[in-house]
Amino acid sequence: MTSTRAQEVLYESEAALRLVDHELTGMHDVRDAAEAPARVVPMLSLSELPQILEQANAQILNVLSRLRASRAALQTSALEKLATTHEKIREVTSATEDAATNIMDACDRATQMVDELDTIDAAASPDREKAGGIRHNLRDELFLMMGALQFQDITSQQLSHASAVLVEMECRLLDVAKLFDHNADHVQIISEGGHSAPDEATYDPNATTLNAETRQALADEIFTAVRATAA
Amino acid sequence: MKFLVVDDSATMRRIVISSLQRIGFSDTVEAGDGQEALAKFDSSIQFVITDWNMPNMSGTEFTKVLRSRDDGRHVPVLMVTARSVKEDILTAMEAGVNNYIVKPFTPQVLKEKIDALLPAAAA
Repeated sequence: MTSTRAQEVLYESEAALRLVDHELTGMHDVRDAAEAPARVVPMLSLSELPQILEQANAQILNVLSRLRASRAALQTSALEKLATTHEKIREVTSATEDAATNIMDACDRATQMVDELDTIDAAASPDREKAGGIRHNLRDELFLMMGALQFQDITSQQLSHASAVLVEMECRLLDVAKLFDHNADHVQIISEGGHSAPDEATYDPNATTLNAETRQALADEIFTAVRATAA
Repeated sequence: MKFLVVDDSATMRRIVISSLQRIGFSDTVEAGDGQEALAKFDSSIQFVITDWNMPNMSGTEFTKVLRSRDDGRHVPVLMVTARSVKEDILTAMEAGVNNYIVKPFTPQVLKEKIDALLPAAAA
């Protein structure tokens, strides 16, 4: 539910409560008039009371039903967004750990290769061919480490998305707060303090480090199919 | 062969450029977004590798503008992006992208895609 809709529901609720208040005030006036000896003309008879109460009851039930519906909608929307954000942040943690593990493994292998090269160099007649092979593998390992750093670009996009969701949630909460407290207008929110939401154009909300091969296969399949159709 | 590498992530630009050097291409120019890439593009550029999500001008917008220029109409454009849903891939194709790499990529995939587009780049 949007904040505008929530506002409408609350206005409707307020209007309904005013109606109930009006009816009750009317009843109160009738009772006062009945009690005052000088004012002898009652506006409503006691026989109308059940009908008024029934109307009031219906209005209150209607208001409660709308409030429940709006609360449920707000909760669902907020919880879904927060669950996605939570999942993204978990993935950032996991991607960071995977990258660190891959880099550490490559470092271990590279160190071992350097040791092997030292042994070859220390030999009376160094095996240059073997050393060449090890150097080639060593370059591969170093390159693997560099490739593992791609996680930085993807996790950066995931964090941008999480940040955008938090800014949106803050604005929604402020809208709700304003419905109940007009002083909330003066509350300073993070997004107004120089920490605006990241530019949507700079990140993909679905960015992930997972299943890269499957996703690449999908891209290849689409390119092949479209080209075949065009040909 | 001269490559233009466009990505707002400096880390990714370094990774792509190092990958290119490793497969034998050391002549590269880099740009941080589509606008900068357009400013740096000239007829000496024979191959473009671009990201999608960037500030100021996205990779797809950049490709569209490039395709409207006489000197950029036929240059091979390889998109390297985290976006990988079907609609995105089709959008990239419509913009004029020649091939597509999903991040994170391996050097083998990069080499494979470049090799496939080299004839067009050399033409």
